[in-house]
Amino acid sequence: MLEVKNITKTYTKNGSTFTALNDVSLNVDKGDFAAIVGPSGSGKSTLLHTIGGLIKPDLGQVFYKGENVYEKNNRNANLYRKKSIGFVFQQFHLLPYLSVFENIRMSDGKKANKKSIEYYLEKCLLLSLKNKYPSELSVGEKQRTAFIRAIISEPDILLADEPTGNLDPENSRILMSLITDFHKKGGTVLLVSHDAESANYASRKITLQQGKLI
Amino acid sequence: MNPFRLVIKELIYRKVSSIIILLTVIAASTVSVAVYTLSKASENETRKIMREQGLNLYIFPKGTDLIDFYSVNNTLTFPENYVDVLANSKTFDAVRHLTGILQLKYPNWIDPNGSSHQIVVMGYKDEAMQRFLSKQETMGFDVAKGTVHVGAHLSVNIPENETFEIRGTNGELYEFEIAKRLAEGKGMIDQGVAFNLDDLQEILDMEDQINKIEALGCVCHDGRINNARSQVQIIFSDLEVTEISSIADARENQRLMMNKYGSFIIPFILLISLLISGMLFYSNVSTRKYEIGIFKAMGNSKSFILFMFLFKAFILGLLGSIAGFFIGSWLAEYFGKEIFRFTSMSIKPLWSIFGYGIIIFPLLWMLSSWIPALLASQVDAAKTLSQD
Repeated sequence: MLEVKNITKTYTKNGSTFTALNDVSLNVDKGDFAAIVGPSGSGKSTLLHTIGGLIKPDLGQVFYKGENVYEKNNRNANLYRKKSIGFVFQQFHLLPYLSVFENIRMSDGKKANKKSIEYYLEKCLLLSLKNKYPSELSVGEKQRTAFIRAIISEPDILLADEPTGNLDPENSRILMSLITDFHKKGGTVLLVSHDAESANYASRKITLQQGKLI
Repeated sequence: MNPFRLVIKELIYRKVSSIIILLTVIAASTVSVAVYTLSKASENETRKIMREQGLNLYIFPKGTDLIDFYSVNNTLTFPENYVDVLANSKTFDAVRHLTGILQLKYPNWIDPNGSSHQIVVMGYKDEAMQRFLSKQETMGFDVAKGTVHVGAHLSVNIPENETFEIRGTNGELYEFEIAKRLAEGKGMIDQGVAFNLDDLQEILDMEDQINKIEALGCVCHDGRINNARSQVQIIFSDLEVTEISSIADARENQRLMMNKYGSFIIPFILLISLLISGMLFYSNVSTRKYEIGIFKAMGNSKSFILFMFLFKAFILGLLGSIAGFFIGSWLAEYFGKEIFRFTSMSIKPLWSIFGYGIIIFPLLWMLSSWIPALLASQVDAAKTLSQD
């Protein structure tokens, strides 16, 4: 379903060049649950964002269902992110002026209807908090809200960038079980994590070191 | 989620910056509306004062010595039908309110107490309607036959309910009903009497003769007075136009000064307000870069992000322009009443500029948010959202 072919990404800062990804290739099949692990600065997030259509690689291609993601026009590239990809970030990035319900609703997919949102809110123990604002939530509640926002439009691939990085063990466990549920229902998960326990939920590990797969 | 709702919610959430931006629009709109309204009031005031003071252009027979005109009792005259010829001319459109007048010193008027006075007598021909120009309200003295309007100084010497008597050049005594006793400050007529032209011509035995035409020329420095001069010259080469410049200039200068200040103050306030707003919009982009990143990660287009910022500016511009219109109109009315004696009651909100305001201010504020909005649309989502 997803094919990453020889991608290289370099950054230049203050005159020095840093290679975040160096000739990385991998395949992800539908229903895979892969954990991308490696030390800080190894290129994990860059790889995730490259797959998500947010960072264009300097070299190489990313194919999704046989189509090069970076050869799509703007409209189709946006549609790819909107319909096929769901992002979860360590910092949640909820909109502070929207309630829990509205933050999820902003996904704007047809599937983000009231019934479906309430189903997931109940499942994630957030139904009673649906009218609360992010400032009134605990970190675990915020991350669960961000998780529902990512999966509400039923994307093919969930890209989770250190989703448990700010959570205590209990909330980490809850979130990982939700991600596992998504995977069990046929979703594909790519999880970037420092946390070995979270990575253990994955059926496959992809290790990066200094921008290279090892 | 409905993007309009999203913008409104963000606007309410970031109250402080929204209110500051709104205040800048209100300030700019208030100043613009107030200055413009006062400038219009000043223009009307000038016009009203001109009307109060009388007409500002005199058309005399060529060669009339103005010193003599006011000091002797016989001056050069010309036929009164000159007024009609001018009024019916297609090419004579530089002045309005043509009024034929016969004005002379009457050296020996005997008041009811038997005292002798030198007075000014003025005979007014009905104001001529200019055939090829739109109709307008008459300005000059409208003195009915058989009646007179008595000037303030003269009026003191005539008891209430008395008639006005004057001896004609033929020795006959003429009697007139006093239709109006004029208030002080009307100029030369303070020490004189206004007649219907026909009556005065009969008294003085000056059938069909007048010695000046008063008219109202535009109170503006765009050469229309010169135009009036040349137009009169073409039709009657034996007449010349004199502007009563002291009054006209004073009022005109007052109005021009007002416009001059306005043309400085409005752009200045606008510029400052737009700069402040632009900086606040820019800071709004910095504050919202994670939000923008999320929007992009969720597949929203650059135009969606542009729209969010521009629509916010539009709403603030619209609200500010409406509030500014009412505040500016109120301020103009409040201060205008103190400044403008004649037009104070007619200073009202100018609804014609309301329409312009609700278009111009939102557009200007969208312009001030344009660069921040463009920067927002260029935010690198991966960079802002990345943990690496």
